[in-house]
Amino acid sequence: MSIRVGEKAPEFTLDGVIKGDFKSVALKDYRGKWLVLFFYPLDFTFV
Amino acid sequence: MPEFEQRNGAVVAVSTDSKFSHKAWLQTPRKKGGIEGCKYPLLADFTKKMSADYGVLQEASGVAVRGLFLINPEGVVEAIQINNLPIGRNVDEALRLLDAFQEHQKNGVVCPIGWAKGKEAIKPSEAAAWFEKHAK
Repeated sequence: MSIRVGEKAPEFTLDGVIKGDFKSVALKDYRGKWLVLFFYPLDFTFV
Repeated sequence: MPEFEQRNGAVVAVSTDSKFSHKAWLQTPRKKGGIEGCKYPLLADFTKKMSADYGVLQEASGVAVRGLFLINPEGVVEAIQINNLPIGRNVDEALRLLDAFQEHQKNGVVCPIGWAKGKEAIKPSEAAAWFEKHAK
């Protein structure tokens, strides 16, 4: 699967942590909003 | 982050760490290298599928390189930046991109090199006038 500008972003649903609580988060939760999605290599490093 | 929320935006971070590691990091004070107080979600791409889908998985190490994706309200990718591991990103640049795409969406203008909020963008039908005024 590849990703390109102008095309739909790959869907995802993952477990995450928000303000200390575990929660499932999906791309579709952000329909209607601009989403800045960023990846970083490892916790306890810089982002 | 309020700067993004004010613009109808949201921030989500992803790494291939587990959610338990994320939780520990969120509980660690900033002065100890933690991110205590961080308000946006950290996602655990523990299977590395999402990182692979977004083209940021470094297979040799199993970690995600520093990718940034701006996705519009319809779920379409508007911008991609991918940095190799040593170099971080810039929040101001993410905000600049967000402002530029919103300016385009709202006013139909295009935003040339170095554009930032408050600078004049180009109306495609009046591009000649823009160049007359701004070109050096």
